[in-house]
Amino acid sequence: MIDFHTHPILVEEIVGNDEALLRAVRDVFKMGSSLQPLETFLLQMDAAGIDKAVLLPIDCSTTRGCRIFSNEDVVKLCKENERFIGFASVDPHKKNASEELDYTIKELGLKGLKLDPGLQEFYPNDKKLAYPIYEVASQLKIPVIIHTGLSWESNTMIKYSIPLLIEDVAHDFPKLNIVIAHFGWPWVLDSVALALKYPNVFIDTAAHYLDTPKEFIKFVLTRQIPITAIERSLRTKILFGSNYPRIEIRKMVDAVKALGLTEGCLNLIFKENAQRLLNI
Amino acid sequence: MKVKLEKVTIQTKKPTEAINVTPQVKKIVEGSSIKNGLVNIISLHTSAGIAVTEGLSCLEEDIFFILDKLIPKEGNYHHARYLDSYGRLGINAHTHLKSILTGMNTFFPIQNGKMVISGTQTIYFLEFDGPLCRTFCVQVLGE
Repeated sequence: MIDFHTHPILVEEIVGNDEALLRAVRDVFKMGSSLQPLETFLLQMDAAGIDKAVLLPIDCSTTRGCRIFSNEDVVKLCKENERFIGFASVDPHKKNASEELDYTIKELGLKGLKLDPGLQEFYPNDKKLAYPIYEVASQLKIPVIIHTGLSWESNTMIKYSIPLLIEDVAHDFPKLNIVIAHFGWPWVLDSVALALKYPNVFIDTAAHYLDTPKEFIKFVLTRQIPITAIERSLRTKILFGSNYPRIEIRKMVDAVKALGLTEGCLNLIFKENAQRLLNI
Repeated sequence: MKVKLEKVTIQTKKPTEAINVTPQVKKIVEGSSIKNGLVNIISLHTSAGIAVTEGLSCLEEDIFFILDKLIPKEGNYHHARYLDSYGRLGINAHTHLKSILTGMNTFFPIQNGKMVISGTQTIYFLEFDGPLCRTFCVQVLGE
């Protein structure tokens, strides 16, 4: 099984030795939980039955003066453990963002791109800031995961993260695989509409904003949309993501498994859809 | 009176786990140079516990079995909401309540440099929300 949405922001061996990064984790990403050894991350994966996890950094140098985990540290973790799949992040406000992306994929071996329009303060359909990055990502044939919907970080505006802003991108870059993170909550129907319409739009399950994970995932996938939408129409478009460490991986796995989806559908969500996107 | 404090870190490996920490506590007591006094064993967490019982795997299973019956994982708990200080939702009410029920500490007397503990008594660190890196204090007091 693959977890498509994790942040290595509590890994003590790296964050504990980098004061600026720790400040970014605490003050910008707003994560207050205690740092944990890398072993805890791996054991959390084991407890959830997860074989591989995608690691997502965020480069918000221009807007926040920090990177919430650097591409180089992601590479370091991936080199230490083959269970990690590293994604890059680049700052859309930097003139060399496209070149940096090209370098991180070709030279550092990262496998995808993470963007967070809220923290990075850009509209996903900004032709000047974002399109050159998508052009490179499309050429490199890597998936792009974009934060959408509500975010917990203070001073981040939801206006940048409305899922429908991604329609232009999906339309203008038909060969670019785009993952709408967090189900785009609360714009779940909008996210579903995009995933239904565009072959290159996917959605991850890393959504937990109210109640327990089981209650919330059930609410989203049985009341905001019918569960049959997943089973019948979107089974090839949904990726399991936990958003660890904002939530324990096993609790999100249990929440998705409790929906009563068929085994074939769960295999797609937990493994095969991610394998296809990551070409593994 | 002398007071010595040592922090012990353990990596739990499962969501729930009973870890026998008696050997570590005995070692700290015997290395403390305190001959007569008291040893306190105190967890530094609110979703884990400290308990003493007979060191048997069947009892370890029973502890979690009965705690799950008394305080089910899924319940209508208020502690299921966003916590700004953590940047995440608190959703582990049952683990906190189990910690309250078991308690977070225990103590034993020390005589002639050794902990006075019976052959069946075992000190357990009880994990209710693992896997996590956990810490407990061993405080030795005496002469």
